[in-house]
Formats: sequence, C-alpha cells, structure tokens
Amino acid sequence: MTRWFEDIVVDDAFPLGSHTFTAEEIIRFGTLYDPQYFHVDPEAARHSHFGGLVASGWHTVSVGHRKMVDALFAEEERLRALGQEPGVSGPSPGVNKMDFKAPVRPGDTVTYTLTVTGKRPSNSIPGWGLLFNTLDAVNQNGELVYHAELVGFSKLRDFRTPVRLRLLMALTRVPGLRKLLQPSR
Amino acid sequence: MNPVTEHRRHYEDLAQGEVVDLGHVTVSKEMVIAFASEFDPFPFHLDEEAAKTSLLGGLAASGWQTAALTLRMLTDSFLSTIASMGGLGFSDLKWRKPVMVGDTIGGTVTIAALRRSKHRPERGIVTLDFDIRNQKAEPVMSMRLANLVELRDPSIPLTEAAV
Repeated sequence: MTRWFEDIVVDDAFPLGSHTFTAEEIIRFGTLYDPQYFHVDPEAARHSHFGGLVASGWHTVSVGHRKMVDALFAEEERLRALGQEPGVSGPSPGVNKMDFKAPVRPGDTVTYTLTVTGKRPSNSIPGWGLLFNTLDAVNQNGELVYHAELVGFSKLRDFRTPVRLRLLMALTRVPGLRKLLQPSR
Repeated sequence: MNPVTEHRRHYEDLAQGEVVDLGHVTVSKEMVIAFASEFDPFPFHLDEEAAKTSLLGGLAASGWQTAALTLRMLTDSFLSTIASMGGLGFSDLKWRKPVMVGDTIGGTVTIAALRRSKHRPERGIVTLDFDIRNQKAEPVMSMRLANLVELRDPSIPLTEAAV
C-alpha cells in the first residue's frame, strides 16, 4: 500500500474494484501470452472441459495487479489531499501461492480484494519492509476465481541510515580517500 | 475423445524428470511499456528517468510480464504439444533479478511430478519447475506450476497410472 510501512495495519482489507472481461480482450491476452485453444478459439474451446472460451489465469491475475496498482495511486492521492506525504511501495520479490479456481468467461465481472496478512522489516534491503498480502478475486456469482499470497516491499518512514554507513558514504565522496576505501581489483 | 487434442501427448506420455527447452525472447522497451501501461503502470516500468532512481536501477519489465512471456514460451514449446486442460495454480514464484530492457530471457522447465486427480479419473496433474535466466545466465525467475492434462485412457486404475 502507498502508506508508510509503519502505518500499515495487519488484517486491513482494501477493496480494489471490479473488471468485466470481454471475449475480445480474453482472446487478445491469450494470443500474446497463452495461446492455448480454450483461451483464443471460441469454436475449438467448446471441445475443452471448460465448454467454451475462458480467460488465461495469468490474464485475470494481471488485471488484479492493475487494480492493485490503481488502488495504490488512489490512496496516494487521498493522502496528498489530506496534506500527508504518502509512503513508497517498491517492486515485489514474488508470489508464495496462487490458486486458480473458477474459470472466467466472457461477460464475467471479477471483484478483487487485497488483505494485509503480515509485515516485517527486510533483512536484505535496509530501509524497506516486506508486506505479506492475500488477493482474492470473486466473480458475479460469488465464486472464488483465484486466491493469491503475495509479497511486496514498502519503505520505512522512520528508517535512519546507521552512523557508520553514513560516515563511510561521506568519506567516499572525498577525492583520494575514495580510492583507498574501494577494494582493489 | 477431444478432437482438438487427440493427436497430442497425454498424461500417459509424460515422464518425471523430462526437461523442456523453452527457447528465449528479447525484451524491448516497447514491449515493457506496452505491458506496463495496461497492467503495471508504476513509473519504474514506464519511464526511464524515474526507473533510474528506483530499486530496479533502470527501465525493467513488470514481473508479471516476465511471467507472461515465460508462459508464452511454455505454451509454444510444451502446452500446445500436450492435451493441456489449463493451469491449476503455482507456488514459490520468485523474481530473482529485474529483467531490464534489452535483456534476453529463456530457460527450461522440468517435470517435477506427475499424479492423477483423485476425484476426476480423466485428469492428471503435471508439476513443472521453471528456471528462467537472462543472457548472462543469471536466474531471473523461478516458480512451480501445476497444470491439468487429459488422460488418454481414464479407465486405467488410479494406482497403476500413478507414477
């Protein structure tokens, strides 16, 4: 979320909105990234166990990601309007789990919800925290379309670079000293 | 028999340990911006200047684009050659290094496991481990994908087909 790491409350749920999938966009995504017959050919798809055209799971997931990014930007706007400085979210290191459940057919409307399930400061990147989120996508009949367990980075507001590191960074800016401090090649 | 898939490889034709070469794809700036504009419009995927000061250090593909391009390679080199019934999901997807504009990515999948569906005798589940690398052979993405595949002969008892 575009909140500072410290301000993110575990178990907070964020509605991300809905998206209605058209046959045209299902086929377009399928043609580019997942050209299996049930994602690109409505006629051939009738022979599949789906019984017709369905969206690639990666398509519904990519749209879910877009909804999440839009929600982050909207939250940033909201905080700015309140006169607050928004936090900074970074790239994601990965996805722990993704379960594709009900297929998405042309005309289906999928509603996405993000829930923060945990957080901790990053061990590898100073000044950043790790967020653990779940993302649930549900169709217009209330059926689960997918359930995801995601990991994201969020910047720490209260992080101060350790004094030794700051001193080292300052010294590397002094000509001459820089060479001494750099490891020999 | 499904007329679309009848001449393709079925569950019975797959073997644990089989390695499939996925080929490779070069990621252009146009591809990165087109995907990011639709699905991941963070400045570090859209704007070269903004990307320089980000954690990624330059214009980089969305992780979901790396996944989508990998899926395309998988479809072309494997899923379109078997009686695939679509994906069940994946686990442990790790974006290990950013994929930068100009990078060429490719790699392999290995059939890590094969098992029958407990409830649907006509379905098998193939588990695929991905090893995706850039042109410097550095790992950029890994994951484990579960995909459904048709059995040619679902009448084979569960225990005998379970390898």
